Amino acid sequence: MRIDEILSKARGEERNSLLYTEAKELIENWGILTAPSRIARNREEVLPAALSIGFPVVMKILSPDVIHKSDIGGVFTGLNREEELIHAYEMIEDNSRKAKPAIRMQGVVIEKMLSGIEVIIGVATDSQFGHVLMFGMGGIFVELLKDISFRLIPIEPADAQEMIYGVKGFPLLEGYRGKKGDIEGLKGLLLLNLA
Amino acid sequence: MEKRVSDFEVIFNPRSVAVIGASDNPGKLGFHVMKSLTQGRYPGRIFPVNPGKNEIFGIRSFASLSHIPDAVDLSIIVLPAEQVPKMIKECGVKGTTGIVLITAGFREIEDKRGEALQKEITELANQFRIKIIGPNTFGIINLHLPLNASFTPEFSGVEKGKIGLVSQSGGMSHLMAFLSMKNRLGFSKIIGLGNRCNVDFADMVDYLMEDPETGVIAMYLEGMDHPRRLMEVAKKGRGGKPILAYKAGRSRTGDEASQFHTGSLAGRHEIYEGAFRQAGVLTVGSSDELLDSAKALSLCPLPKGNRVAVLSGQAGPGMAVCDVVEEEGLSLEPFSAKTQRRIEELLPPLAIRSNPVDMGPAWYDSEAIKGIVQTVLEDKSIDALILCIMFASANRASVGLLSELLLQRSTEKPILCCFSSPEGIWDEEIRLLEQSGIPNYSTPERAAKSLANLVHFRKMAERGNSRENR
Repeated sequence: MRIDEILSKARGEERNSLLYTEAKELIENWGILTAPSRIARNREEVLPAALSIGFPVVMKILSPDVIHKSDIGGVFTGLNREEELIHAYEMIEDNSRKAKPAIRMQGVVIEKMLSGIEVIIGVATDSQFGHVLMFGMGGIFVELLKDISFRLIPIEPADAQEMIYGVKGFPLLEGYRGKKGDIEGLKGLLLLNLA
Repeated sequence: MEKRVSDFEVIFNPRSVAVIGASDNPGKLGFHVMKSLTQGRYPGRIFPVNPGKNEIFGIRSFASLSHIPDAVDLSIIVLPAEQVPKMIKECGVKGTTGIVLITAGFREIEDKRGEALQKEITELANQFRIKIIGPNTFGIINLHLPLNASFTPEFSGVEKGKIGLVSQSGGMSHLMAFLSMKNRLGFSKIIGLGNRCNVDFADMVDYLMEDPETGVIAMYLEGMDHPRRLMEVAKKGRGGKPILAYKAGRSRTGDEASQFHTGSLAGRHEIYEGAFRQAGVLTVGSSDELLDSAKALSLCPLPKGNRVAVLSGQAGPGMAVCDVVEEEGLSLEPFSAKTQRRIEELLPPLAIRSNPVDMGPAWYDSEAIKGIVQTVLEDKSIDALILCIMFASANRASVGLLSELLLQRSTEKPILCCFSSPEGIWDEEIRLLEQSGIPNYSTPERAAKSLANLVHFRKMAERGNSRENR
């Protein structure tokens, strides 16, 4: 099974985090949809990659040495033109070398820029509770307002419902100013009970 | 079919209790334990154990457990920690079902030997199949037997009732017991778990769910080694007896939660909250709220819905109720046309007559107050009532008349009150109301919050699919 291969490779290399490509493959294997993406190994590959996906796009550094990409200036969003792509690529090269001189940069990931409502779903192993599932509204909601809810894995459909309805930002998902979230889709994600 | 008597059934209803380390010196805990048992009118046999005495508290004393000619169901140990392993072996040989281990100096101390000693006694207890409550506990109290197996004789002054309190902290148990004496709150059991060697929250909740004297289970927790076990036991009982949890440790969460996605530890407190919710346990945020909600859950019927009527003798307290009610996601529903008409007949148009109703203009007309409450009680669009009346010389009769009305009729709707007067004026009425399932609270906000918790609990027990408000 591909999932086990990915995980045992990471374990074999004594890594406690997955590379971008591994993570992406893993989630897709679980049946979770992700944004269309291409890898550009060098500056020349950036434009064809973006054109094949279609603007606007996001550019992220691809490196085994970086986990928090945006912390080192390795993420640029909302890119619409060739000049913006090249500029972003150069900035990422500069920023990453400044942050980590010995960095192994393997290129960049070009992803379709998505718009919508951001949410976060996480799974962790707690030393006392074991596998724990988290749901929250993404971005500043989770970082600043801690608008999150937890349940122990496995959860039941009613738990998924309560997790989603229980966050303060729920009205955003329910629909506000023309935008609304796919609540049933989110429930399905939570009910994968991944651990 | 014969029902096996559980170990805990024996521990909380022992036919005999040995006090290992009994003393008649008030400077020793063994003295206070003897005082608790004797003053607390424990109906079983008491065997003081102390090698230096023939008699303690006028009761024949024994040199050791093995000298006692009869069976011993429960042993209370108050000896220094290093003597405890030997005593556990003696209890094992004697065939004691349970031990209340008051002695401190185990896992809670900085010295590593404490940890080792706790491990040793846990293994011994498991080997002899003895259940140990503690170590480092004040003890246990069964108010229905009565049994006060603690070092605080005053616990016997707590009223007998339906709330089973399980606490990790002795201090919080004392606090809540003494608060309850003032608030006339009745308990079935008060249990200090202390360091928990082989008896944990899960065991106590499991026992109390089956205990006929317990109607509501209230827990004060700090932390656990195996919280999943508690959640599983609670979940099994979902829809049965209400379980409430007051978990300390909110402040430590910090901003760990936001780092959750990197795999670092999440806010433990928030996981507890989620896990409790998942298991159908109602979480509360303070000792007051724990007691208030336990009181409401032990006295009131559960509301069928979240539509609340607020009737108050003065505008202010009614407004205070409304604020809490709305914050908690309850609804101040308009009355039915019939109810509204009746209220308008009874009240002059001098104040608010829709929900909330300001009954101030009816101060001199207690019959009008009675009529309003009666008609709202009958209104099918209302699920619960909150009544607030602050004493004034002119409305003195109102609470008496109201209690007459409320005591006569049995209603399926919860009624929570905040009747407040200087001491000695409405005390008797309030006592009678509480006896018949209508709790009184010291402030309108506390009454409102308690009603909100009744609504939250009912929703959780039923696992409704409606919009949740936290």
